[in-house]
Amino acid sequence: MTTLPLAIRLARRELRGGLKGFGVFLACLTLGVAAIASVGTLVAGVNEALKNDGQRLLGGDVELSFTHRPATAEQKRFIDDSGRVSTVIEMRAMARTDDRRTLIELKAVDGEYPLLGAVRLAGNPDLTAVFARRDGLPGAAAERTTLNRLGIGVGDRLSIGDATFVVRAVIENEPDRSANVLTLGPRVMIALGGLPATGLVQPGSLVRYQYRIMLADGIDPAGWIDGLKTRFPDAGWRIRSPSEAAPGVQRWIERIGLYLTLVGLTALLVGGVGVANAVASYLDGKTATIATLKCLGAPGHLVVQVYLVQIMVMAALGIGAGLALGALAPIVFGKLVASQLPVAAQVGFYPLPMAIAGAFGLLTALTFSLWPLARAREVPPAALFRSLVAPSRRWPRGAFVAGTAAAAGSLAALTVVTAADRPLAVSFVIGTLAAFALFRGAAWIIARLARSASHVRMPAMRLALANMHRPGSPTPGIVLSLGIGLTVLVMIALIQGNLARQIREQLPEIAPSFFFIDLQPDQTAAFDALMRDLPGVGEVKRVPALRGRIARIAGVPVEQANIAPDAQWAIGSDRGLTYASELPAGARIVAGQWWPADYSGPPLVSFDGHIAKGMGLGLGDTITINVLGREIEARIANLRAIDWTTLGINFTLIFAPGTLEGAPHTFIATAEVAPEHEDAVERAVTERFANVSSIRVKTALAAVETMLSGIAAAARVTAAVTLVAGTLVLAGAIIATQRRRIYDAVVLKVLGARRRAILGALVVEFALLGAAAVAVAAAIGSIAAYLLMTRYMHIDFVFLPLTVAGTALATVAVVVAVGLAGTWRALGHKPAPLLRNA
Amino acid sequence: MTSFPLQQAVTESESIVELANIHLKLTSAAGEVNILRGVDLRVARGERVAVIGPSGSGKSTMMMIVAGLERPTDGRVRVAGADLAGFDEDGLALFRRAHIGIVFQSFHLIAAMTALENVAVPLEFAGVDAPFERARAGLAAVGLDHRLDHYPAQLSGGEQQRVALARAFAMEPPLLLADEPTGNLDTTTGAAIIDLMFDLAERRRSTLVLITHDAELARRCDRIVRMHDGRILEAAAPAAAAGGRR
Repeated sequence: MTTLPLAIRLARRELRGGLKGFGVFLACLTLGVAAIASVGTLVAGVNEALKNDGQRLLGGDVELSFTHRPATAEQKRFIDDSGRVSTVIEMRAMARTDDRRTLIELKAVDGEYPLLGAVRLAGNPDLTAVFARRDGLPGAAAERTTLNRLGIGVGDRLSIGDATFVVRAVIENEPDRSANVLTLGPRVMIALGGLPATGLVQPGSLVRYQYRIMLADGIDPAGWIDGLKTRFPDAGWRIRSPSEAAPGVQRWIERIGLYLTLVGLTALLVGGVGVANAVASYLDGKTATIATLKCLGAPGHLVVQVYLVQIMVMAALGIGAGLALGALAPIVFGKLVASQLPVAAQVGFYPLPMAIAGAFGLLTALTFSLWPLARAREVPPAALFRSLVAPSRRWPRGAFVAGTAAAAGSLAALTVVTAADRPLAVSFVIGTLAAFALFRGAAWIIARLARSASHVRMPAMRLALANMHRPGSPTPGIVLSLGIGLTVLVMIALIQGNLARQIREQLPEIAPSFFFIDLQPDQTAAFDALMRDLPGVGEVKRVPALRGRIARIAGVPVEQANIAPDAQWAIGSDRGLTYASELPAGARIVAGQWWPADYSGPPLVSFDGHIAKGMGLGLGDTITINVLGREIEARIANLRAIDWTTLGINFTLIFAPGTLEGAPHTFIATAEVAPEHEDAVERAVTERFANVSSIRVKTALAAVETMLSGIAAAARVTAAVTLVAGTLVLAGAIIATQRRRIYDAVVLKVLGARRRAILGALVVEFALLGAAAVAVAAAIGSIAAYLLMTRYMHIDFVFLPLTVAGTALATVAVVVAVGLAGTWRALGHKPAPLLRNA
Repeated sequence: MTSFPLQQAVTESESIVELANIHLKLTSAAGEVNILRGVDLRVARGERVAVIGPSGSGKSTMMMIVAGLERPTDGRVRVAGADLAGFDEDGLALFRRAHIGIVFQSFHLIAAMTALENVAVPLEFAGVDAPFERARAGLAAVGLDHRLDHYPAQLSGGEQQRVALARAFAMEPPLLLADEPTGNLDTTTGAAIIDLMFDLAERRRSTLVLITHDAELARRCDRIVRMHDGRILEAAAPAAAAGGRR
């Protein structure tokens, strides 16, 4: 006979009394599930927007793009025969007025642009009219930021290269532009026909030619792309379909989503400790009922069913509330975070992230409930004959151990299976297990220390210490939950602090002031001379630069090669190339030898050691680069360790002399300039060389910092959720010990203690507990931040004591405040009623 | 499901409780404590036995052993002809369900359930037909048919103990164990409860073993068992026990 219907009936009767005792349980589950569900919904919303708008963002069914050069006549004919084609050219350039200049993202479009959607313009809605030549001058459209930086308005003139344009409209929205994660300059849009007059398109200039194609009816894009590859196998173009319209954005949002989900999961796991405490506390309060049921003939499994049903009902309520909040959060907060998102998230109900968040909640509830439930199974019915029964500390029955292990294992599996970056998720699972073990150990040590120090003379201190180590003390739960929350917060604070320090303090010291790009070979001598003459200019470095795509790795086409995730970025787009006879200053060879200065022989290349490892390449292997449509196979002569964080000139690939000199290319230069001379130097260079663009490192760093601060804010909010979960656990633990504290306070009063002394003992207890948790969390958080920064992000780590101390002090204050708020009632209790009932 | 020889037990044994040389040692922080030191007791079917003795003499522990709530360190326990050593925890629960009703000093009603539900619980456990009808009849028998839907907190102490009595008798057990059933009640209410309990035991032909400090109550039983320091000092008819004590 199944006992489940009876168990459900009994559970329903017990639950009629309301949710009392389940407050912390519900809050912990709701919070964690809401965090995961809202991140999941937001990411799904962005992905949905990218998917739905893929064709619009791409600007057609297919986009073909080249760097440095346009399509050949034969290629263009093939494209033109396939449907409607729009040609777009993009490059970085300087926009100038008489007294100001700014770096811009220049976009030259043909009459077909845009094939899909429309450019939203303020001031003049018709793009053709905007570009039309009037009074001898062509028109342009620009973003508001461009106008602000140049101090001009619609109707004013701006110069780009050798040409002058009249701004006739303000760009409010481009259909094919997803907000880039990192942009250095605002947009200016001109007609394709107006580009030659600027003089910016020169051999080797960093220009991107894009051909967007709306295929004629009946042509299947995938089949067409296959045909294109067969017809032009070595074209060296980048082919994108709508599903890859914004791969960078998609990767970025998935990665950020994963980080935030993991932080949300941490909050849920921290809340899991609260779930376990709440279940244990609830069941402790039910000891008499359980014993009565057993006395009346209820077998153990029926008792377990009765309480498992109750716990699952509560879990369902908590998870349901969390999911509802998670579904609503993107709608409520979507506008607040919209500026941080590359595309506007599509508001909607997304079942998959909801199901995943719900599954996380359910598995967490099970993982943390089964163990205390096992104790209910063991409540002896004889408890009814004894006034006090010590809680069972026996190891639970095998079924409960297996059930807990299965639930925890499923939780880990779900974490890994649903993660975009599985190795990272595996690291998270291992790290979480290690953190639980570490904090459990730390709690044990804290309790031991409290016990060994418990013979101090001060009664308040003695009571405080005794409360930290006595049987049934909440120390382990509080140290674990608060500690993990704090670890995450300390880690994020330290990483953010270190990144900010790099960007604000270290990088400006070691990074150059300017990058100058697109210097033509015939301009280098004049550029060098100008820089020598300008006041305030320090070291100037100048190297040849061109771009190429990695086409084959050890002879295998990149699409078929097995490449590690952290090296994938190297094949996603064009890479910068240079050539050199001497080992560049600051370069560090980690394998192989630099070639002789007078080398002349088959192509040799110096490669980034980290990427080479990710591609499984070593010394002597070959790598094939498509440069300007021509494939160059070079043998790896040496590997370098590149420190990208210096923001100096670094190249993934450096060729030996004799290979690239003949290819059309430009030069890139860096210059250290005294801050007070930066304006003058920029003006002098861009006036003298209209085709040269200057990038101020300060501006770039500011853009990077803005981007990072957005990410950090999101991380802090989610980490704060973790800490809130920790605080809930703390509150729950204090509520659970309320009866004992009231009893202690009453007995102390009977013995003559004043309220102040009892209060003092409580403050000392919570301060010691908070300080102990903080000390352990600060240590573990700092080590984790150090490892992440030095091993994963390859950035120097500096311990920031003020950052950690601030976080620590705030936490101790919260612990004391929550602790006192929870126990204040204990102080006010009159001794008599309690003693009468004791 | 654990099975037990119910019919066999009922027909084969004249004694419903047989304790033979029962010892119980418990280990505490202070060391090993001998709670029971060789207790022998037989209780005949239909007999009413009072167990008296000072606090800590082992009365409640002996009752727990009879109820299968505690296992002796040594000795043999037979209840209704069944050797309790042969049952696991769940088997003991099923055995209690069928054979033993228990009444506590602190009532131990389930706070979340109404009076009716409290009485119905053992019937539901046993899977009997119409448990609520029978529970209603049981409550009527203790004079609480007007309090069916009240929760324990809404009942007086005496009413709570009546509900507890109705619950203990719900399965019409052959053996009723009562641990100081009037300990938490005033004298008048206590006397009424005792009258009711004796009456119910009589009508249902249940054997009654009750722990009490009340000499008057003990004298109403067929036999008084006096315990001290984990041993039975004497077990005699009330008159003899009273004489022995003097």
